[in-house]
Amino acid sequence: MSSMRFAISMLSVVGLASIIGTVLQQNQPYESYIVNFGQFWFELFEMLSLYNVYQATWFLLILFFLVASTSLCVYRNTPQVVKDIQRFQENIREESLKRNKYALEVPFKDFKRLELIDFLKGMQFKIREKKINGQDDLIIAKKGDFQKLGYIFTHMAIIIISIGGLMDGNLVFKLKESMGIKQIEMQDKPISEISKKSWLEISNFSYRANMLLAEGESQDVAVIPVKDGYLIQDLPFSVSLKDFKIEHYASGQPRSFESDLVIKSKKNGEILTRKISVNKPLTFEGVTIYQSDFQDGGSRMNLDLIDLHSIAGPLNMKAEVFKHNVMIVDNKKVNFEFEDFRLFNILDIGPEKNKKPKNVGPNFRFKIRDEAGQAREYETYQLPMMVEDRYFFMSGMRNSPQEDYKYLRIPADADRSLEGFTIFKSLIHNGKKIDKAANQLAKKNLIETKEVSQDLANSFKAIFENFVSGGYNNIAMSIDSNVPEEKQEQVASTYIKIIHLIADQLILDYQDNNPTSTPFNFDDVTVFSQDALNGYSDSFFYGSNFWVELRDFDHIQASGLQLTKSPGQFWVYLGSIMLVLGIFCMIYIQEARLWIVRKKGSKKITLAFASNREHLEFEKFVLDTKDKIKRFYSH
Amino acid sequence: MKKNMYDYGFVALLSLLGLYALTNFYSYMDNYEVAILVSSVAGFSYLGIKWARFRYFFIASFVLTFLSIYLYQGDLGQSESKFLLKYILSSQSAIMWMTALFPLSLLIYWFYLFSKKEFYGNFATCMVWIAVVFASAGLLIRWFESYLIDVEVGHIPVSNLYEVFILFCLIASLIYLFYEEKLNTKKLGPFVLIVINAAVGFLLWYTLAKNADVIQPLVPALQSYWMKIHVPANFIGYGAFSVAAMVSVAYLLTENIFWRRHLPAKEILDEMTYRLIAIGFIFFTIATILGAVWAAEAWGGYWSWDPKETWALIVWLNYAAWLHLRLIKGLRGNILAWWSIAGLLITTFCFLGVNLFLSGLHSYGEL
Repeated sequence: MSSMRFAISMLSVVGLASIIGTVLQQNQPYESYIVNFGQFWFELFEMLSLYNVYQATWFLLILFFLVASTSLCVYRNTPQVVKDIQRFQENIREESLKRNKYALEVPFKDFKRLELIDFLKGMQFKIREKKINGQDDLIIAKKGDFQKLGYIFTHMAIIIISIGGLMDGNLVFKLKESMGIKQIEMQDKPISEISKKSWLEISNFSYRANMLLAEGESQDVAVIPVKDGYLIQDLPFSVSLKDFKIEHYASGQPRSFESDLVIKSKKNGEILTRKISVNKPLTFEGVTIYQSDFQDGGSRMNLDLIDLHSIAGPLNMKAEVFKHNVMIVDNKKVNFEFEDFRLFNILDIGPEKNKKPKNVGPNFRFKIRDEAGQAREYETYQLPMMVEDRYFFMSGMRNSPQEDYKYLRIPADADRSLEGFTIFKSLIHNGKKIDKAANQLAKKNLIETKEVSQDLANSFKAIFENFVSGGYNNIAMSIDSNVPEEKQEQVASTYIKIIHLIADQLILDYQDNNPTSTPFNFDDVTVFSQDALNGYSDSFFYGSNFWVELRDFDHIQASGLQLTKSPGQFWVYLGSIMLVLGIFCMIYIQEARLWIVRKKGSKKITLAFASNREHLEFEKFVLDTKDKIKRFYSH
Repeated sequence: MKKNMYDYGFVALLSLLGLYALTNFYSYMDNYEVAILVSSVAGFSYLGIKWARFRYFFIASFVLTFLSIYLYQGDLGQSESKFLLKYILSSQSAIMWMTALFPLSLLIYWFYLFSKKEFYGNFATCMVWIAVVFASAGLLIRWFESYLIDVEVGHIPVSNLYEVFILFCLIASLIYLFYEEKLNTKKLGPFVLIVINAAVGFLLWYTLAKNADVIQPLVPALQSYWMKIHVPANFIGYGAFSVAAMVSVAYLLTENIFWRRHLPAKEILDEMTYRLIAIGFIFFTIATILGAVWAAEAWGGYWSWDPKETWALIVWLNYAAWLHLRLIKGLRGNILAWWSIAGLLITTFCFLGVNLFLSGLHSYGEL
């Protein structure tokens, strides 16, 4: 098991598993996996724990084997390394010295043994002396022992880091789970109803848990997501959120998230008031509290439901995020489920190629669920947005979370409000006004016909009312069934022209009757009228009769906190320091051994060098050392 | 003796620069940033003493930067009206010069390889130096420009893919230039410049197609002194690994008689690959550890198995195995060369592929 081959193959498996973990997004809701892979593959992948590879038992087992293998390796090799460090290779034979690749003879006048030894010591050599053949001098010098220690350092470091990591892993929980002491909670329940089996005690020595805290709220437990369920972690203190603040750059992008927290110890009632923000956590009683994200904390909204297809006045509705509102419409229950409110929305806005991030103001999201339980999702912006140089109110609709939102655009009037569209809507539903407009239009004789008659006006009116009852889609359907194919295009463009002209006329008439009214104060009101027709027509595909208008709101935020107890961190950091030191020793310390022999009475010495790594750098070192010794003798 | 004078001069100059920054901007810095400043002065002094040409590079970059700052006179709008700013000394223009000079030096290097006239080799090296000066001046000026947008927006330009690609070109080139000089291996320029020009190509595409050159303010998670250490350290790693892979390509080519006549000796190529991977490995290790420490502070855990972290681990394991085989088992030769080339693929995926294909906490440079 201590063999390199074993370690390398284990490492390869770890590498492969890690790659799977990056390609397959981890810890997603299980439904999204089912949707993506289908039931068969979903079950197979789940069996292999591929949705949380890094917490999988088999993965931890491999890591364990790696640690064991490395430990064995260190255990086996350390004595040898220690021996190597102590050893001076004194029993080297003369012949092998002569055969040495770097052997060199240096002549001298005076041997100066003691000075030579001092000189070598000055060059960081450790020295041992010996007599060989009973008379000749042998000096054994060596340096760079730390290189060998580097080996032990790096391997020890890996063991220490792994142990630290395992301490912070969920091994203890896994064990308790397999013994049936603990169990993951799968259902969304109030905390008081959650079984004690899914609670982790304050004494739990390592965890990473989340807490979502609304402004003004206080909590003393946190949630640990596990697989497709969760656990409750009891905390040694309670946390309350006084205030949550987001600050923005001039361009609108968020600059900082900050939570004003009040923390109260359960043990001694000690109270700590502190502000935390991203990159600036707080540690209290061994638990570190981080700012991680934020969301809505149940904002209250005052809404108007505007019927898009009738002239009925708006219905008022008071709503709160995360709550449901039931409205009775045409004797049917319609369920509004509010899901989110956002005060700031940064969108890239502007002409293609030159889009710039800009804050477009608040939006809110909700679902409308009908009696059959079918739900559509909506996302509506409070303020109008500039699109192609005009302002529109925008609301997106989609039938399922997998789809993109399709946006309904209602034009803002000259006062940037919905008033103009409301007036427009009442105008196009007013039979008398349409009559009048149709007659005027027929009289003006703009269409290329010679007869001016009531018939013409009547048919104009019929076309327009056909539009009002179902938008352009209605017109297209009636053309499809009544007009021969080759003429359809021509007829369609005539019809559209008629609809545009009547709508323009309706607005002009309105302006004539209400000269002080401001919503239609445009340079060219026909642009508005066409946008309004388009918006009206599209609203038949909006899936709801109601446009939900946000009148005012009370913004309540919730701060997402992360609470971590990580006893392994110290060991991981310690191991990391050792690792860097070890690598540094292994790579940058030159290990070298030098033997100097002087035969009795001889006027020269023989040098020989060796190293466990004889590369270019070592050759340079040898040349350098030889030079220095030569110079030592030539002085 | 004369050399020492220059050494002292350079150290004195750097210390003065550091002191200037400290006295003027101390109130904007936290203790960590002061420490980073002091160790930068020490680190660059050391580099300047070890490597004389680095001094000229450093001084040239700062002269250009200060000239640019002087020309801006605190108004970003000047870049449209002043000729020097518009065409040379705004960060955009400086970087455009860099993107022009790298391909040019690649061409000259190849010409040199076959013509064997020293003049062209020196010419190519000189072009790389000028490109590197533009790269570093471009980044420094960008740093300054970000503060001109708004003091709140200002930050070191290592925060998104666009900026780190420039950093990559800069660091990889400097690493190459260092070894080119120390081991006298101009003939590797034609190979090393390929990988640098690939980065330049990406940078150009990214700038033109995605408008990536716009300076964006920092998201809260990146607002930390750690960014100043973690990112550059990582790119020393990436740069060294990339250069090593190109040297390995040359190493494999020497199997062929034709190439053997044109390239440095095998032993030198082998040694250079080893030294590059060794230095890259040390910096990559340090960068990953510092990343973990930062993650512990910003995300609440030193290791989250985020795709970038996981791929960093894979890169690390890969080069750890490489060094292990070489240092402990004494392996040499083609296998290691192929391995180092494969290492470039893994490194590229970690550096770029993760941002392209995977989502996670490190999504600061999506396409």
